[in-house]
Amino acid sequence: MTCPSTTVLVAGTGVAIPGVPQGAGLLAAVRPPHPPLPWPPSGRDTRFKDRATRIALVAAEAALAEAGLLKDGSLTVPGTTVGTVVSSNLGNLDTVCRSADAAVRAGPAGLRVVDLPTACSNVVASSVAIRFGLNAVNLTLCNGATSGLDAVGWAVRALRSGRARRMVVVGVEPADPVPLHMVADQARAPGDRLLDGAAALVLETAQAAAGRGRPNSVTVTAYARRRDPAAAVRAVGAGKEAGLWLPPGHRADDGRPPHICAVCDMARTLPPASGALGVLQCVAAAAWLSVTPPPGTPPTALAVSGGAPEDDAAAAVLLSALSSMPRPGLPGPPRPHCEEAPPER
Amino acid sequence: MNGPTQTWRIAGTGAVTSLGTGTAVTFDALCAGRGGPVPLRAFDTSRMRTRHAFEIPGPPREPADRLCQAVAEALGQAGLPADLTDVPVLVGSGLRGLRAAERRWAERGRLDVADLSFGRALRDRFGAVDTHTFGGACSASLYALALAADLLAAGDADTVVAAGVDTITASMYGLLDRAQPQSPREVRPFDRARSGQLLGEGAAAVVLRRGGPARAVLRSVALHCDARHVTAPDVDGLVGTQTRAHEQAGIKASDVDLVHAQGTGSLVNDRAEALALARVFGTGGESPLIISVEAMTGHTSGCSGLLATVIATECLRTGRVPPAVGLSDPIDEATGLRFATGGPVGGHAPVTAQIDAFGFGGVNAVAILGKAL
Repeated sequence: MTCPSTTVLVAGTGVAIPGVPQGAGLLAAVRPPHPPLPWPPSGRDTRFKDRATRIALVAAEAALAEAGLLKDGSLTVPGTTVGTVVSSNLGNLDTVCRSADAAVRAGPAGLRVVDLPTACSNVVASSVAIRFGLNAVNLTLCNGATSGLDAVGWAVRALRSGRARRMVVVGVEPADPVPLHMVADQARAPGDRLLDGAAALVLETAQAAAGRGRPNSVTVTAYARRRDPAAAVRAVGAGKEAGLWLPPGHRADDGRPPHICAVCDMARTLPPASGALGVLQCVAAAAWLSVTPPPGTPPTALAVSGGAPEDDAAAAVLLSALSSMPRPGLPGPPRPHCEEAPPER
Repeated sequence: MNGPTQTWRIAGTGAVTSLGTGTAVTFDALCAGRGGPVPLRAFDTSRMRTRHAFEIPGPPREPADRLCQAVAEALGQAGLPADLTDVPVLVGSGLRGLRAAERRWAERGRLDVADLSFGRALRDRFGAVDTHTFGGACSASLYALALAADLLAAGDADTVVAAGVDTITASMYGLLDRAQPQSPREVRPFDRARSGQLLGEGAAAVVLRRGGPARAVLRSVALHCDARHVTAPDVDGLVGTQTRAHEQAGIKASDVDLVHAQGTGSLVNDRAEALALARVFGTGGESPLIISVEAMTGHTSGCSGLLATVIATECLRTGRVPPAVGLSDPIDEATGLRFATGGPVGGHAPVTAQIDAFGFGGVNAVAILGKAL
């Protein structure tokens, strides 16, 4: 049953980037010079999986665990109540391009049957669903620069239309050899050319959260995809102010409301994140909002992706802290990690 | 608040297939039982066992161009201008722009990430900006239709375009060649002599609206994920998705007159789908009429669900159904199911149609359409 007024809460977040701690760590994203090895982790059940899937599973597990939805690696709620949205532009590019080469040059002898599911763009989403037993709606967004925020937007819509009561949202991009060659900015330092990581959010209807005694305080308020950042920001009702401003990757002021209190610019702290960016932004926003802001700070975080000349459009997501609800006992992000906003012009 | 029996208007449809350009051309060819695979041209298959496919005739073009053709036709049928500035466009595709990426990689060139999705083409052609490329499995475009209906139900839009498009990638073609036990030269859904699926190119679009004239109505789309296996379907999941679609449409299984099956002609999938259809509808000869077109169009991957929606809309509108080409000796699991033999339907014309789309990863979608009154 569709209920457009359903409140959608952030129930848990997860980060899978070498060296970046969970949640609040994204606000600073200070990475050690050498990532922990091996990365991404590989187990008996994932050794034939593509890199994007292996990274996505790490982030999804962290988010589900933080949401209190996992016990001994299994779901604590019926799988039919949990859906999946994955955002990735480059996820299966490596398998696709290498398999295409091998198919033409060597025929079947050059190919592995285990790569068949990865030829299709939904492999990460179906693998996350299979790993955790998620039977509700299973979506994959491959929507360019805005893809991560679009995934968050579709998760909210799936909850409001009653297709699920909880949604796992994963944004993932793998630094596989093919995207590193074809897409990455070769002018950047090696290791900084393309994100090799994922972020995940678990979103839940307020009713479902209350039903299991999880009164979370951060809500996803609005989503829009429009011609440019300014139009998207107006459409989510944040044209005047936001507590935290999470700008699009390319230009830190594109769509920026006149009044902001803090900035979290991932283009300055992480490699280009493509389809993972929007989910990373929302995880950072949730961490920032989970701490009581100083008086006078709007309890909102505004994330914008896309809008560069090469992009087809821009998207915005607005998150807010519900002041009437008790704050969960999450460790708060150290606020100094937030870059202070430049003075208003 | 919408009740469970809320319906949405299919105001226009568009299709581009190996049978030709346009809904009418495609549907007429299907009803005449035309179409079949030919040797593939898009890439070199000399090292592969399989050589055939269902490519769109004429010079090769990007899937984005086919998509725009189908959307333009659907808008024209709906009497709407080719301006989608304020209209959401939801596109389901299994292989999106990946063939272009394969070509670039073969020459070790660079790739513009925007070429992997369809937003730029839709903005350039129709001014659309609320555009979404869903990289799903073979049910991708039926998922797009479901989400389009959700946008109408939520009051977020009065008109939405849902579309599907797919091309043939060398990776998917080669990996199927590697995985399938045989190398099919024809597609024979549900037949004992079937030897596997063959890929096809295609694009399909529908304009879904809250009000106004309708070619057919959409009553429900149920979505489900088996969460069992990365490629093989789960019979329980296929049954459950169909049952849920009936519940959401407020109908009983016995109300369904026509089923557009997925029917890829693959060994495992056809068996699972036939078992599921038999469990939902019974095998005593009382089953709805079942159509499957992939002997004539090939398996159009993520486009197939919406192409089936376009075909089912024409069946409901005209009372004609395409014959189940390639099927002469049904598999045991399909015994007692009624397959279309072509020509006008005997008895009463179909009023309620079901569309099945089942994808890799057990990502299932089932839609229920009704005749426009």
